[in-house]
Amino acid sequence: MKDKVNIVVVVDVIGALSDDTLLNGNLCLIDDGSDQSTGQGTPELCTAVEPGQTVQWSALAVDLQTPVEIKSITFLGDETNKPAGRESGDTNGGRPQRGGHPRSHDRQAGEQRENGHARSGQHERSHESESLELDVWAGVVPPVMRPGVPYRYRLEVQMYEGSHSTLHIDSPALIRQ
Amino acid sequence: MSQQLAIIVLVDVGNALDSRTLEDNTYLFDNMKLQGSEGEGTGDLVTAINGSYWSDGSQASEQVLNWLPYSLGSIPPTVPRGYEADRARQSDLEALADLSALANRPPEGADMGSQLHEIHRSVGARVKSTGHGQGRPGGKILDVTGSVVTSDNAAAHSYPAPVITDIYGEAVDEKIIYPAEYGSPDLVTDGWYWSATVDTSKPGTYGYTMRIQLHSLVRKGEELLWDPVNLTCQSRLRITREPKRNAFTKAGMGMLPLP
Repeated sequence: MKDKVNIVVVVDVIGALSDDTLLNGNLCLIDDGSDQSTGQGTPELCTAVEPGQTVQWSALAVDLQTPVEIKSITFLGDETNKPAGRESGDTNGGRPQRGGHPRSHDRQAGEQRENGHARSGQHERSHESESLELDVWAGVVPPVMRPGVPYRYRLEVQMYEGSHSTLHIDSPALIRQ
Repeated sequence: MSQQLAIIVLVDVGNALDSRTLEDNTYLFDNMKLQGSEGEGTGDLVTAINGSYWSDGSQASEQVLNWLPYSLGSIPPTVPRGYEADRARQSDLEALADLSALANRPPEGADMGSQLHEIHRSVGARVKSTGHGQGRPGGKILDVTGSVVTSDNAAAHSYPAPVITDIYGEAVDEKIIYPAEYGSPDLVTDGWYWSATVDTSKPGTYGYTMRIQLHSLVRKGEELLWDPVNLTCQSRLRITREPKRNAFTKAGMGMLPLP
């Protein structure tokens, strides 16, 4: 067993923002875990992990000069771990949506952005982007993870800044071998 | 942010040559405005470079800077590299065709002298190569629309693009940046560009100087020459650094927050 599994989120930022979707080949996920992982190179990556392993996500932009960062990774509830999701965005197997701020403080931030408050000051915007690039999305797989059950997660990426800069998908998952 | 940063150095070549200074004739832009760069579009750009480090203090990611010189009053840099040569050759072919037509069927009662003079004008003016391994090679003078320019209306000529010939100063002396000129097949930047990696382990504001070569069209007797003019302009880098942090816990490593 490897100590660490890396998951790379490759984003064609220009394509994603132009198409308004992370599908159509605008995002692909790749991991370096075991052969049991499925969906390599697609948004439906299901990464095989073992308790005790460290999983680390990182974002990579196809266009070198266009910044892209992971804004949030949120593991979905039991219901959404079933193949047919209950959320409107999951009816299409994890259809990407704009915004989507699962965590309360993110939701608040999203509302502020929609109300235009985030545009009020240069400092606020720059602080937000600075903090994103400092984030390391990594964690240890807990022993409570049930074998054979895909734990789906919402992956939200931010491409540059502005009211239309974030998109997310709910389709990737971790699964205990 | 571990991305490549671009700094556009836009030069008003005509005015810079007239006043023999780049001050107030240079406009700097970079793609880090949202990360804190200041003075975009002015000659007083402060480029924000946000470094980061791991908990053991080591540098988390390197930054790469690319300087791209552009000019006001030049043929756009996006046209193919052989554009000037192609246009010059085309004007030669047209002149040869006119000459051939004139030789085979001279119009009755035409003033051959004025006809030949007109053909001579359509060939355009050629700049003599300095032949010293410096400056620009010879070639025809074009205007910004790609048409050849004759020696008697050379004032409408397009300026050659500015060339960065050196980057030096405090930021280099303090070993913050390690600039060098690189060659690439990128046609937009004419195959050469200045680039540098940045040591983000030393926060602070550091100045640097760019030596930029412009070319002035001068007449020496019957000849036209591109006279190289070396000028300098300054800019600054502001380097900050902050620690990386775990995004799930906002502190150290922990278990994944599975439901």
